[in-house]
Amino acid sequence: MTKQIETKEKDKEKGMSTGSNRRDFLLKALSAAGLASFASILPANATEIPREEVAHVLDMPEPFPNGGILERMRGELHRALKKPIEQRKWVMVIDLQKCIGCKACTVSCISENNLPPGVVYRPVTEEEVGVFPHVRRQFLPRPCFHCDNPPCVPVCPVKATYKRPDGIVAIDYDQCIGCRYCITACPYGARTFDYGEYYENGTPEILPYELRPSPEYGENRVRTEGEDNKSPKGNARKCQFCLHKITNGMLPACVTTCLGGATFFGDYNDSESLVRELIGTDRVKRIKEELGTEPNCYYLV
Amino acid sequence: MKKTGIIILAVFALIGFYTIGLRFSEGLQTTHLNAVFWGEWVAFYIYCIGLSAGSFLMSTLIYVFGMHQFEKMGRLALLSAFVALLSGLTFVWIDLGHPWRFYKMFTHWNHTSVLAWESMFYIFYTFIILAELYMLMRHDLATLRENSIGRKKSIYKFFSLGWRIPSTEEGQAQAKKDSMKWVKILGVIGLPVAIGVHGGTGALFAVVAAKPYWFSGLFPIIFLVSALVSGCGLMLLLYSMLGDKDEDYIPMLKGIRGFLVLFIGIDILLFISDMLVGSYGAIPEHTAIWHRIMFGNYWYVFWIGQIFMAWLLPMLICSLRSIKDKANWMALAGLFTVIGIVNVRFNLVIPAYTEPQLPGLDIAFSGHPRLSYDYFPNFVEWFSSFGIFAFMILVFLALWTLLPVNESISRGMEKSSLAH
Repeated sequence: MTKQIETKEKDKEKGMSTGSNRRDFLLKALSAAGLASFASILPANATEIPREEVAHVLDMPEPFPNGGILERMRGELHRALKKPIEQRKWVMVIDLQKCIGCKACTVSCISENNLPPGVVYRPVTEEEVGVFPHVRRQFLPRPCFHCDNPPCVPVCPVKATYKRPDGIVAIDYDQCIGCRYCITACPYGARTFDYGEYYENGTPEILPYELRPSPEYGENRVRTEGEDNKSPKGNARKCQFCLHKITNGMLPACVTTCLGGATFFGDYNDSESLVRELIGTDRVKRIKEELGTEPNCYYLV
Repeated sequence: MKKTGIIILAVFALIGFYTIGLRFSEGLQTTHLNAVFWGEWVAFYIYCIGLSAGSFLMSTLIYVFGMHQFEKMGRLALLSAFVALLSGLTFVWIDLGHPWRFYKMFTHWNHTSVLAWESMFYIFYTFIILAELYMLMRHDLATLRENSIGRKKSIYKFFSLGWRIPSTEEGQAQAKKDSMKWVKILGVIGLPVAIGVHGGTGALFAVVAAKPYWFSGLFPIIFLVSALVSGCGLMLLLYSMLGDKDEDYIPMLKGIRGFLVLFIGIDILLFISDMLVGSYGAIPEHTAIWHRIMFGNYWYVFWIGQIFMAWLLPMLICSLRSIKDKANWMALAGLFTVIGIVNVRFNLVIPAYTEPQLPGLDIAFSGHPRLSYDYFPNFVEWFSSFGIFAFMILVFLALWTLLPVNESISRGMEKSSLAH
């Protein structure tokens, strides 16, 4: 702990001396502050939850103090994981001024979750704003918003979709009957249906890349032929903030692959977290708030 | 003629079984469903549930409201309510992504889901229809059992649940009285249940705040009224074809026709109210859908199917003095209504999905047809639907010939017992 505080101090100094611009300095100072609270929370909470539950987090490499925003968010992620699950609340912040519409997030999400055709968790919509010559394209990446009042959850006839204590809206693939009521009820189109197709349909062979297990929910399910009970075929599917990654101390795929650094992820209950800072700015907007869904994805416009 | 009809139905049923087999072996990828997640099968599901609820409510006219002039169609209405319910449940069952997990509706019942409530309603409703039919036919079934031999005897023994006609006259009279008492009780319970069954099916859609086209308190009522329209149409059609051509025949059809006209009138009224209010507010997701229904690619479903076939044509037939009292024309009015309401059901379900939830979402995922917002059913969906209908018509005809649904003797019995 003393070591960490030392690092923090050093960091501060470094930030002050080398900070060529204000933004750089601010980021470094913030990441240092993040680390400080990380250090102070650690011993207190480690006693609260059994060590074996957080062991995998404690074993993870420490975030680099100078690693920039991604490392800061990773540090905050580690800090959150050391708290009991019901004290975390995962939120995403997307800076639309920084989004360049490259769709790297869409692609990395498909790759990470091994998604079949027709299943997309994070599309990026495009809209033309303004009138020529004052015109621009507006991009809007759309993950699942993991609403606090999710319209998709109460409509499920079999309790297959539910809100986890950490705020993530999850689907139990063994429970889902595939009625698609949740897909219908989502005002954001955040759910899609696994119709059971392969990219290689119509070719002589389904190639091994399509039969790789999907790591979703840490369950490593393989999409086998037919309606195998273990296969996610015939189910509603959705973004789960890369739950399998975050429980292992890694940021969601869309966050780490965002070229413009437009996607932020963290714990809303951590007052020192980057996402909380960003949500405190005056650029924040949520989509279709009038429906009372209380989405946990904030846009900076 | 009769034989050819049955062969055609059987052929359609067989093709239907084949396509349903395809659906079960390959999953829902055999359909054309895409970002329109509820398609033809769901439309036919609500159509059949509507037919069922409509027929059942027609039977309550007799057994609950005491309109005994309709007595002769009572059993027919209940039988068609049962077969239509079976068809509807088949449609929604094959539409599930995991049909074999349907039992979870009961083992993991979620009280906040309208769909879960509906599954309970369907079970309860099936029980009421069957119990009511049994009570109405118990005496006849027992008679048939005694008068037949061999396999038929055991069939009737099964259907009569082993019940035997009491030996004494008083016992018989008492049994008939009990039957009719039970029919009345079941009908009284069945009335709110049938309203729940179809109003609830409407509520399934109406509670979805994400779809302004559905999100209206009027929606479940429109479901219910159009169910009554289709129920009257079905009764008009069935009774004109199957009913005994006796002195009650034409007055009976006229009576049903009166209800048909009444319900079509209410249906049009509710529809116009919903449409005008909905399109007056300039909410894009709402007005765009109305615009697409009327002037989109499938405009004919609305103008020809819904407006002309389901409403105007039956109304016209039922009001032209030269033809309105002819049985064949009334049958035709019933037929047009029954087919026309299919279009109403399609337009209730599918257009709601055609508008992207967020601007640009329809073109955000470039390319894959499964993410398209334009839907038209493919051959698997069409032929499985035709197959289910053909098979269910055969089931209906089999039950019609096997069971004392239209036995003249039974009618004599009911009349005497209801006359008290």
